Amino acid sequence: MFWSTKSWDAAGKHCYITGGSSGLGLALAKMLAAQGAHVSIVARDEQRLARALVELETVRQSKAQLFQVFSYSLLTAEASEAALKAAMERHSDVTPDAAFLCAGKSIPRFFVEYTTAELTEGMDFGYWVQAWSAWFLAKKMVAQRRTGSITFVSSTLGLMTVPGYSGYCPGKHALRGLADTLRCEFLLYGIDIHIFFPPTMFTPSYEEENKIKPALTKKIEEADGGLTAEQAAMGQAHITADFLTDSFRVSSRGSAPSNGWILDGVIDLAARVWIPLWSTLTDRRVRAHREGHYQHLQEIGFFAF
Amino acid sequence: MLADATTLLASLAAAVSISMTWSFFSGAKWNPSGRHCYITGGSTGLGLALAVLLTRKGADVSIVARNEEQLAKALAQLEAARVTPNQILKSYSYSLNTCTAAKEALEVACEPHGGETPDAVFLCAGKATPGFFIEETEESMKKGMDNTYWLAAWSAMAASQRMIRTKSHGKIIFVSSVLGYMSMFGYSTYAPGKHAIRGLAEGLRQELLLYSIGVHIYFPATIFSPGYVEENKTKPRLLLEMEESDGGVTPEQAAQGLYKGIQRGDFHITDTFIGDVFRTSTRGATPQNGNFLKEAVYGIIGYIALPFWRRDCDQKVVAHRPAHEEYLTSAGVLSGGK
Repeated sequence: MFWSTKSWDAAGKHCYITGGSSGLGLALAKMLAAQGAHVSIVARDEQRLARALVELETVRQSKAQLFQVFSYSLLTAEASEAALKAAMERHSDVTPDAAFLCAGKSIPRFFVEYTTAELTEGMDFGYWVQAWSAWFLAKKMVAQRRTGSITFVSSTLGLMTVPGYSGYCPGKHALRGLADTLRCEFLLYGIDIHIFFPPTMFTPSYEEENKIKPALTKKIEEADGGLTAEQAAMGQAHITADFLTDSFRVSSRGSAPSNGWILDGVIDLAARVWIPLWSTLTDRRVRAHREGHYQHLQEIGFFAF
Repeated sequence: MLADATTLLASLAAAVSISMTWSFFSGAKWNPSGRHCYITGGSTGLGLALAVLLTRKGADVSIVARNEEQLAKALAQLEAARVTPNQILKSYSYSLNTCTAAKEALEVACEPHGGETPDAVFLCAGKATPGFFIEETEESMKKGMDNTYWLAAWSAMAASQRMIRTKSHGKIIFVSSVLGYMSMFGYSTYAPGKHAIRGLAEGLRQELLLYSIGVHIYFPATIFSPGYVEENKTKPRLLLEMEESDGGVTPEQAAQGLYKGIQRGDFHITDTFIGDVFRTSTRGATPQNGNFLKEAVYGIIGYIALPFWRRDCDQKVVAHRPAHEEYLTSAGVLSGGK
């Protein structure tokens, strides 16, 4: 229980990947294809999906592998169900062996500047885009009496947060709440639940995000670094892919299982010292930004009400 | 190396003691007397108990909820707790799960106060409807998020925007749950929203430093409220059994616990053993509360004990498999003996 490690062989398994046409999802798809899996990718952009399919072909291991792409926006329950059904069709309508729910994006802004639509969208892109898929998948798997695994993709911002992400981090925290619930509940069905907390990933989505990110947020993230999607995909086997996030995972583990209880304890001890220092420093930065921020609010007409 | 470590630890301990002593003497405790407290979910349970507590301390209190009958009864209780003749005690009926409603309710509540923004906004509205994930419907899943997260987020948006515009340095107090720190089976439409509230509060604590607006968040365990009674009517039996030995507190005790936490200046407020253990075990980047020793001790308890608790919970779930399969078959979710 405390030190079990399960290694999983992807060869011949059907892997269902949402958000699989770019970034983390695509890197994961290629990794699994290279291991001999059947891969179904779901995303919105048809051009990107076509390009993704080409990339999968470059790592094909055997003629028996089935690569599929489907264009759906997974923000609604309806679409999430349709996408899953479409992917299952050529697999005799049998549920995938493993699902990786990588779909999502972030819209960083100061909380009080979000429009109602943006805040709602934030939860759609952070939480619902994965929750609906997990829900249909689970129902189908139980009805077919099949086991398998579902991996959610949260974020370092599912374990903590910094200013500028209040439209995004609640959804990412919510995924953790769902994953913890289901990890326990799905012991009833033998379905495995995993959740991945990637840090900054240098992907097309990240570039989009940076176009609108508040300056204060950029300043706080300055020293963070990040991973390429490929590096993040490699890290997926161990829940977190970088030391920073691992510290947050460990210090916020609560009753969630850990891979290494002793190592976690050591990291946690260090975290008890450096995280509060980081937090104090960040608070100071925020306070220092006050004047600049009030000017900004004036400029966007926030006070002209 | 040991000498360095000892020096580091000693300096750390000294720093902590100094800061604790400083904050004890420097901070004036928050006094609700004469302040306007706006309470969502204020007609029953924790919200009502809080409203009565604050009324007794001389605050002006506005309670917001949906049911007009319950609001009327609640207002009568507030009146009975009145301590001065000029306290403004009001109730308003709104369903707060949209931004428009949240803004309107707040605006209306400000009218008797000359248009001034409340000093403290307590976001107690919320409810839980436990069940098994595969039996949820699209509606129940959306409602679950509405009744936990959106109820909090829209009012927080309304309050923070108004506080900034009127340059008032107030407080926003979120109410999450121990199920915002961890989760277990049966809470798939509740734990996500309660975790989301935590995420929002963390972000807002930092951002609202820009405007000198304070943020607190309360993580209660079981409260024996009317809401809890409702919840138990449809709760899966296995969950009821698991929670049997948990115990709980009355709404009045919970309100006291929350109030004391605000007085101590705690960001995350917990007032039960379960709450304390999970709070200190899920710290992440959350600033810790003043009592350094307590934090460390509870953290250690959690580190050692929680894996055993979880294993026990998992074993109970696994043992429940046959009964659950029978249940699903009779509910038509599983076709019998495939």
